[in-house]
Amino acid sequence: MILSTALALPLLGAIALVGTPHISALQARRVAAGFASLSLLALVVAWMGFDPAGSLFQHVDEVNWVPSLGMAYRVGVDGIALVVATMSALLFVAAILYPFDAGDQPRQYYAWLLFLQTMSLGVFLALDLLLFYVFFDLTLVGMFFLIGRWGHGEAQTAALKFFLYTFAGSLLLLLGIIGLYLSLDTPTFDMRVLIEQQPLAGTGLYAGLIFLGLMLGLAIKTPLVPLHTWLPPAHVDAPGPASAILAGVLLKMGTYGMIRLPFAMMHVTFAHYALPIAIIALVAILYGALVALGQKNLKRRIAYTSINHMGYTVLGIAVAAALVSDNQAARQLALTGATVEMVAHGLITGALFLISGSFWQRTGEYDLDHYGGLAHQAPLLTGFTVLAAFASLGMPGLAGFVAEFQVFTGTFAVYPWLAVLGIIGILITAALFLDMLRRLFFGRLPSHLGEFPELGRAEWGVLAVLALGIVVIGVSPRFLLTLIEASSSVLVGGR
Amino acid sequence: MLWSVPLLPLLCALLVYVYGRWCRRAVLILSAVGGVIVALVLAAVAIMNDWGGSYRWSEALVLTLKLSTPGMLFTLAVPLIALPIVVYSGYHELPRNTGREGVGGNGARLVALIVAFIGAMQLLVLAGDLLTLLIAWELVGACSWALISHHWGERDIPRDAATAFLVTRLGDLGLYIAAAAVFAGTGSFGYTALGVLDGGLLQVAAAGIILAAAAKSAQIPFSFWLFAAMSGPVSVSALLHAATMVAAGIYLLARLQPELAAVVWFMPLTVTIGLATALAGGVVATFQGHAKKLLAASTSAQYGLMWVAIGAGFPGVALLHFIAHACLKAGMFLSAGLAERHAGSYRLADMRLGRRMPRVAVITLVSSLALAGIFPLGAAWSKEQVVSAASHQSLWLALLVAVAGCLSALYATRFQLLAYGWHERDGLLGSRISSVPELGALAALTLATLGLSLWWSPSAHQAVIEPLGLSLPSGHLWLLALSLGLAVLGIVAGASMVRGERSTIPHGWQVHAGEWFGLPKLAQGAAATTLTFGMSLARFDDHVVDAGLRGTARCARWLARWNASRAEWLAEGVPGGLSRLTKWGGQWARQAQSGQMHHYYSGIVVGFGLIVVILLLGAYL
Repeated sequence: MILSTALALPLLGAIALVGTPHISALQARRVAAGFASLSLLALVVAWMGFDPAGSLFQHVDEVNWVPSLGMAYRVGVDGIALVVATMSALLFVAAILYPFDAGDQPRQYYAWLLFLQTMSLGVFLALDLLLFYVFFDLTLVGMFFLIGRWGHGEAQTAALKFFLYTFAGSLLLLLGIIGLYLSLDTPTFDMRVLIEQQPLAGTGLYAGLIFLGLMLGLAIKTPLVPLHTWLPPAHVDAPGPASAILAGVLLKMGTYGMIRLPFAMMHVTFAHYALPIAIIALVAILYGALVALGQKNLKRRIAYTSINHMGYTVLGIAVAAALVSDNQAARQLALTGATVEMVAHGLITGALFLISGSFWQRTGEYDLDHYGGLAHQAPLLTGFTVLAAFASLGMPGLAGFVAEFQVFTGTFAVYPWLAVLGIIGILITAALFLDMLRRLFFGRLPSHLGEFPELGRAEWGVLAVLALGIVVIGVSPRFLLTLIEASSSVLVGGR
Repeated sequence: MLWSVPLLPLLCALLVYVYGRWCRRAVLILSAVGGVIVALVLAAVAIMNDWGGSYRWSEALVLTLKLSTPGMLFTLAVPLIALPIVVYSGYHELPRNTGREGVGGNGARLVALIVAFIGAMQLLVLAGDLLTLLIAWELVGACSWALISHHWGERDIPRDAATAFLVTRLGDLGLYIAAAAVFAGTGSFGYTALGVLDGGLLQVAAAGIILAAAAKSAQIPFSFWLFAAMSGPVSVSALLHAATMVAAGIYLLARLQPELAAVVWFMPLTVTIGLATALAGGVVATFQGHAKKLLAASTSAQYGLMWVAIGAGFPGVALLHFIAHACLKAGMFLSAGLAERHAGSYRLADMRLGRRMPRVAVITLVSSLALAGIFPLGAAWSKEQVVSAASHQSLWLALLVAVAGCLSALYATRFQLLAYGWHERDGLLGSRISSVPELGALAALTLATLGLSLWWSPSAHQAVIEPLGLSLPSGHLWLLALSLGLAVLGIVAGASMVRGERSTIPHGWQVHAGEWFGLPKLAQGAAATTLTFGMSLARFDDHVVDAGLRGTARCARWLARWNASRAEWLAEGVPGGLSRLTKWGGQWARQAQSGQMHHYYSGIVVGFGLIVVILLLGAYL
């Protein structure tokens, strides 16, 4: 029941907010934060109760819905789903608590955030393909309204582009899901049955087409180069907290879906196409980093580093799926690394986007050339940005390193050349973040920034929690790795 | 337990950073010094009790700490050499307290980072596997970035810090690859696993380790990053060159030389890189007019000599030369810092401070003579050991090393005479009196340099060599005489070079040579090209990749418009036409209902005829 509780709480909160018309912005934020935190707490309890030595999926809830079609409300988690969901819930709490001026509709803003939280957690917790798809699509609705109504600049256009592009991806995903469903002898949407039966093993072209549909749909969401162009405008025009959710949670649905659907349910086909996917991931790593280096806009720069980082995740997944060598330890390392990258990127990029939201609220400007010399004026802002930037460029002692090191080490054992080329990405990332820090905080303070305010208490409080998470994972990741390896060893070894 | 050695300074750094800003200068320095001393004592205790440590991240990832011969030497040497530097940095960089308020955030950050730097270096030298090493290796790089950009308000300094960080991180990539290769071959990251690695993977690991070491210890072609690092405070430079960053490269090679010697090209490549850097660095220092950059080039050159020793199969010699070099180079940097406060800049042409600062001049003379390799100083002995080690490979190599020694005598003389010559210049800008702690730090390092003279006595150097289990090369007496003679020749050449007024300021090709023969320009070019490439890719992304999406959208809009006009006409037209046709048919049918009997009769006749025709057709066809 614990997972259903985690799922239901934010939705209840959203309904409660909608139902109480006379409520101030601060009260709305507190109510929303309360419901979101309770949901996080439920997931933490689930974490405590998870047995790494137990079965793959735990905390399973199942309620029949349309038995004749094999449809049911099924939720449950393995280690990978649980860590990604918990990270997401934490990020939602952070995004809700982070000060944001929602205009004259604060109630609606927080209600939509809570709605989005339920839908996002649903994607990670669902054990039913149809349920997964429904949640997957409904997240688009939540994000569409958050960007369109509370964004700035060309928010409507960006929201529309985001919605249509990712919705097109969803449709491909739906085709794939139906294909998977029909391939079973007694059709059911139960993921556990699909993972166990591997219905499409060795069916050639049909399996290839289903795989293509699933991967295309998920790659748009991830996003992989060249299907990424919806991401930068959506980020640039979205409000800071929504950006943090978009990068931290919504992008993970693509890579999480890759692990849950094609990787787990059709591993023979995935193994067949692992190398091309790994090469595309490599292109995403290098291309994302280089394009980010070429950006003058703070938010666009961070947005493109997301493409680079999600490239690491996809690389890890593809390597874990490859069967060219029987180096199981290396493949498991790659899958574990890919999952840690999801968690680490969520926390790090979430923090970076919240910070860029603070910049926007202060000056209404994302152009890097607008800033400079802020280190003395805003030492806390500088400190948190430096920490997040170094975490993002893979500095040891911080979360990103634990992920990237495992991905590269695993990759080297399977595709040495891809690892050697991909590692160049972390050099370019270092260059672009140092350049960003220099342009924001170092050098002389321009006269128009003389009144630039330091972070408020609520802002640095939220950032401190995220920073703590980044440091703890970087220094002592055992609590995380144990849980992930419980699943990655089964997923990689069970072939 | 061994974890306490690196973690204690790191913890101390954190405390200094958080609480230091409200402390008075003396308190701050005292707590930093306390942290370093505790680290030193802990290191000694760890060695006596043979501590070790491991920390498990997961099944595959285990961090281990283990003592080794080079590790023991470094874990003692690093805090020992850092100690005077910490004292000096406190009194040199921090403002003097006037009121009750503390040193402020900037000062606390500097001292905290220096202490953290020492902690990270301790982690590096105690690491027992490549993962732990990589962690420390990158942390050291990050510390140096933060320290170099201490004066972040100036325009060029953050850029220089980034250059230093990026060049050394390029080397770090080698370590990532080496660690991955060891894991791919053995499933673990331990140094011992290197020994059981076979063929190709061992070669990959060796290449990665050489790349990492070359970048850190500023060997060709990475040597220029030390020039960029000169933007940092002078005490940071001293620390960087003597005890931490640059020293990490030589530590790693000395540590892993036994495992990597199995690779055929490892030793020759090490010798080649080291010799090239030693000779080129000597030339660069000879034609460099900036006091700190002269010393930086000299650092590259001296570490080059250590590389030669390792490549010749005598890591012990490299370790001894490291210690001698650390003492003298730290002293020279601190001295250069004092000179800068008097002269107002680091331009050697503006100095000649001998009359103004006679005590500093005499103290520095000891370090300069040591750098020049003059008997009976310890650095001279260790340099001669490098020559002997090289002679085990070939005589030519030994001669080239001796030539590199001659060059170091030349630039050491040039530094001493230009910085502390007697012909005083007019119009010196700075006018600060050196404080007692600053001079004390300098004197302590110089005393250490003097004390190392004991190495010339066989019983004294055996006392160092034997407990550590190192071996020394046997030398030829004539080679020793030749090498010492070359050093004297270098001094004479340096003195005559300084005497000519014109030649004190490098000009023409000398400027080019003094700037690493254009290496920084080359690197800048590469960086600029990458940036331009990134920007054009960004444009490509906006205009070409996104064009597919925009094209699809345009196509859809066009289709919608076409539908709205043409297809709508068709869709409207077909049912509309049909209804018009029906209407017309209805009207026509109504016209038939005329009410006149002869119309109906004629209609019946036509109908009857039609029926007959149909029946006939049915009968006969």
